[in-house]
Amino acid sequence: MFIDRLVNQTNAPLVERVVKFAAARHRLIAENIANVDTPGYRQKDLSTAKFYSLLSDKVREKKASAPGATTFDDIDLNVDHPTASILFHDGNNRSMEQLTAEQAKNGMLYMTAIELLKKQYGAMEMALKERIA
Amino acid sequence: MFGTLDISASALAAQRVRMDTVAANVANMNTTRDADGRVAPYRRRFVVFAAGQGARGPDAGKPGVHVQEVALDQTTPFNKKYDPGHQDAGADGYVRLPNVNMATEMVNAIEASRAYEANVTTMEVTKAMMNATLRLLA
Repeated sequence: MFIDRLVNQTNAPLVERVVKFAAARHRLIAENIANVDTPGYRQKDLSTAKFYSLLSDKVREKKASAPGATTFDDIDLNVDHPTASILFHDGNNRSMEQLTAEQAKNGMLYMTAIELLKKQYGAMEMALKERIA
Repeated sequence: MFGTLDISASALAAQRVRMDTVAANVANMNTTRDADGRVAPYRRRFVVFAAGQGARGPDAGKPGVHVQEVALDQTTPFNKKYDPGHQDAGADGYVRLPNVNMATEMVNAIEASRAYEANVTTMEVTKAMMNATLRLLA
């Protein structure tokens, strides 16, 4: 109970959600790259814009409510099919450049979120030990 | 995260099979007989990819890619070469050679190797992400 409240007061649950989002998106990008030569395959993606807007709504809600009352677990991650790229004759709308760029960006987002989490846990650990590590 | 590695691994396997067919096609460029020694030019083979891991194997039904079949090219006509001295030449003096086109095979080989590289890179990124997550515990 104590640990739960302690963890939920920081930004850790929010950052954790970002980690989960980036992992889910990475999986879809990997699937897209795997199916780059599959006829009729439609690319899948998660909308980062939609995710961030849901996340910022939650942050606003968190600020307004009591500490520890807001959870970030109910932000759903819906798969959509981007249609911006060219549809090839084999019915596949691949774009290798876009895929690798998104993979790199998404990977960096993941690493950033992990580093933030590490810092948060480090700060908590420091507070628990009552001494600077 | 481990599932993501499986997705990339399925693509590596599929692209390798594609490369195998290219190798078989190029190796049999001048083959005029079948395995039993009968006069029948080699037919070009190509892979048909399908999304998902396929119905068989330990990862059946999971996301990824698999080779649905290795099909024979029945549309492209056989090449013909005038060589009346050849043992397998027809009455008109022409030898029927496989319907393998070197340029097509090379393009296929390059595509397969590039796709393979892309999937290896994805695996590297996945591994880096997994490592970062594991370091959270330490």
